[in-house]
Amino acid sequence: MNRIWRSRELLVFLLLIALLLAVGLINPNFWQTRSLMHILNSSLILILVSIGEMFVILTRGIDVSVGAILGLSAVILGVALNAGMALPLAVFLALTVSVLAGMVNAVGVTFLRVPPIIMTLGTLGVYRGLMLIITGGSWIETIPTNIKFFANWHIMGVRFFIWVTLIIVIITSLVLRKFKRARYLYAVGDNEEGARLMDIPVRKTLFAAYTLAGLFAGIAAVIFVAQIGFVPMQAGNGQELRAIAADVLGGVNLAGGVGTPLSALVGAIFLTAVDSALVFLKVPGYWNNAVGGAILLAAVYLDYRVRRAVAAQQRQARAAVRHENNQLNTPSSKEQT
Amino acid sequence: MAKPVTHPPGGHDQPRVATPLVELKNIWKVFAGVPVLKGINLNLMPGEIHALLGGNGSGKSTTMKILSGVYIPERGDIFLGGERQVFHSPNEAHKNGIYMVPQEPHIFPHLSVEENLTLGLSMDAGEARERISRLAQEIGFESSLSTEAGSLSIANQQLLEIIRGLLRKAQILILDEPTSALTFREVENLFKRMRTLSQRGIGIFFISHRLNEVMAISQRVSVLREGHIVLSAPTSEVNSGMLVQAMLPEDADVREVEKRARDAKGHATGEVVLDVQHLSSDAFQDVSFQVRAGEVVGLAGLVGAGRTEVAEAVVGLDPNARGGVVIKGREAKKHDSRKRQSLGLVYVPEDRHAHGIFLELPSLYTMTATILDRLGRYLLSHKLEEGVGDSYRQQLSIKMNSLYQIAKTLSGGNQQKVVLSKALASKPDVIILDEPTRGVDASARQDVYQLIQRLAEAGVGILLISSELEEIVDLSDRILVMYQGRIIQETERTDVSLQQIMAAAFGLQGEASL
Repeated sequence: MNRIWRSRELLVFLLLIALLLAVGLINPNFWQTRSLMHILNSSLILILVSIGEMFVILTRGIDVSVGAILGLSAVILGVALNAGMALPLAVFLALTVSVLAGMVNAVGVTFLRVPPIIMTLGTLGVYRGLMLIITGGSWIETIPTNIKFFANWHIMGVRFFIWVTLIIVIITSLVLRKFKRARYLYAVGDNEEGARLMDIPVRKTLFAAYTLAGLFAGIAAVIFVAQIGFVPMQAGNGQELRAIAADVLGGVNLAGGVGTPLSALVGAIFLTAVDSALVFLKVPGYWNNAVGGAILLAAVYLDYRVRRAVAAQQRQARAAVRHENNQLNTPSSKEQT
Repeated sequence: MAKPVTHPPGGHDQPRVATPLVELKNIWKVFAGVPVLKGINLNLMPGEIHALLGGNGSGKSTTMKILSGVYIPERGDIFLGGERQVFHSPNEAHKNGIYMVPQEPHIFPHLSVEENLTLGLSMDAGEARERISRLAQEIGFESSLSTEAGSLSIANQQLLEIIRGLLRKAQILILDEPTSALTFREVENLFKRMRTLSQRGIGIFFISHRLNEVMAISQRVSVLREGHIVLSAPTSEVNSGMLVQAMLPEDADVREVEKRARDAKGHATGEVVLDVQHLSSDAFQDVSFQVRAGEVVGLAGLVGAGRTEVAEAVVGLDPNARGGVVIKGREAKKHDSRKRQSLGLVYVPEDRHAHGIFLELPSLYTMTATILDRLGRYLLSHKLEEGVGDSYRQQLSIKMNSLYQIAKTLSGGNQQKVVLSKALASKPDVIILDEPTRGVDASARQDVYQLIQRLAEAGVGILLISSELEEIVDLSDRILVMYQGRIIQETERTDVSLQQIMAAAFGLQGEASL
């Protein structure tokens, strides 16, 4: 059972290949490098949001405000650029807002001890509300084109943002593997009581997780504005649910303690590929949500079944120990001691 | 047999001159106004394996939690190597070389063994690895360091915890019932390792409910009862019988309870209403017993002996149970508690907050929860419902402002009576009561006792699970004792002996008279 967990990313990756092959058989255009690159390019935002969400799920929490943080940061970036702020400064401002938004969640969860789902459901509303308050409800258009340049900038034939995202995935993977403190994320989600007894700073770890979720939503917002070139009020709508789905699909355990950035990467690409596949299969766009939702259900159900199977296995192993124990420890064998 | 003398703290029976690793002096602890530790004096010498014995609620765990920084005592001092210390958290205790290995190891199941050990450790990775491999070798830990900790056996998870403690330079280890989930072989291996550690000068507090283990491994044994140390002596100077004796109430009280039981008029018993045949599941094996109409059968034993698990299996809550359950001559085949209730069997669970009562709802809703189908033809008749509520309110003298008072605002005793009303409302022929007086005040306790008597007189068969020896002896016609998942003793009221019941609960069947 444990081996399945370890290779869950691989499993989803193989499923992804199978999906691509199947769709390609029906519509060979799907196999072109161009359309595969297109899938990758359109999954960047989801990949980043999913990695941020992963930090929180690792600690056994949940953050449903990441989509709203994405939208809010995008609005800040758009407004700042339209106000004539220099690009680097505007990006910095947007990222700062996303970090602050994440910190608000972190304060709620760690210091005020609000359950994560309630805290982030609350801030989901607040951040979406702020978007409307700042813009008065109208879309932000006519954003200076200098930011769009980055979306089309190719380095060695590959888009700049794909490089950026891949580098972020590699860095977070290395940090999570190599840094002692990063391990706390796993420990807290795996056994919070145990972590406390081991002198692990549980609150600081939770704080970091929610803050990072905000930051990653902010980075996603920058790519969003660059790729689309305007900010609709629905920006980031529903991204939190897609991110959770992508994580679970890629092997992040909702009960905490298990998952890697690779899980988020593979899961996010898979979900995006499904959307593209539907286009290539000439399925009307209305189907996207329904199919995405069905995949989420299937993934969560699978997650649940695997966990139950593992638990049942452990329970049986324990019962076996007790039976053996009783057979050996009956009064007749007591003379041995 | 004379009662063993209680040794004063720092007595002269200790031949070594070394200073103790730790000394607890006059420790008091109060929970919700009730003192649970009343002046505990205890010490641990370097290299000593010191066993702690006592029934449920005697205070051993509380004492160890104070030593390991989980609780702060109201009064009393802890001296470490002669110096006074106060621990406000487990971390402070760790830093002072005290490490507690809990009954269920606190591991991180998805992290590797090595990650589990080094987590939160401020030590260079190379140095840590070297010390881990040295400790693992010394203590005989054979699993690879890269294994996922969750896949280790319980025995190896305990070793992992012990190594984690030693890695933090623990001088005092507390092992809380370490053997309860181990096989016989694993226990022997654990003991070998404990001796190795003891030779290195590490002191070990060893909590166990198994007297033979205590006799085999410890150098010193202390017995707790009702928050006092009632016996503390070198193990070589005591025998199992003396330890059991120490856990019993004062001689005079014992004699009085036993006399009361013998003199009491037994209930007139009728036909068999509950017949349990060779029932087995994860937590117990081959349990058989019968309850007759009008009979009170007591099920004694320690927490963890499997009594609650048996009750749950009998009422149909354990899908893994195998064996026969016959209620009033009709065999209940499926694991279906509703079905069994309709056959006449009800269960009043131990943890009423979790399983027995709707805390946030009007009390009446709990009282009538299982008989709603009888209250009106299609729609719920409030008149009928209130009628049922009122009759039980009077019968059990439940103190409430109205039937609709929110259950959680009632006192513990009245809550229990509400739960009992629910059980009685379905007019059962057999009731299983699991610790019915836990957390119940003295006057409500008497009401519960009277109710049990009245039910028995009315012909209801009762299985009474209780950890309180006196309660069980006072109320039961027949007493079964469980130990580690088996019924190992059955006594009639007329020849009841507290000492034998206590001995059986601690696994000393037939040896107690030695």
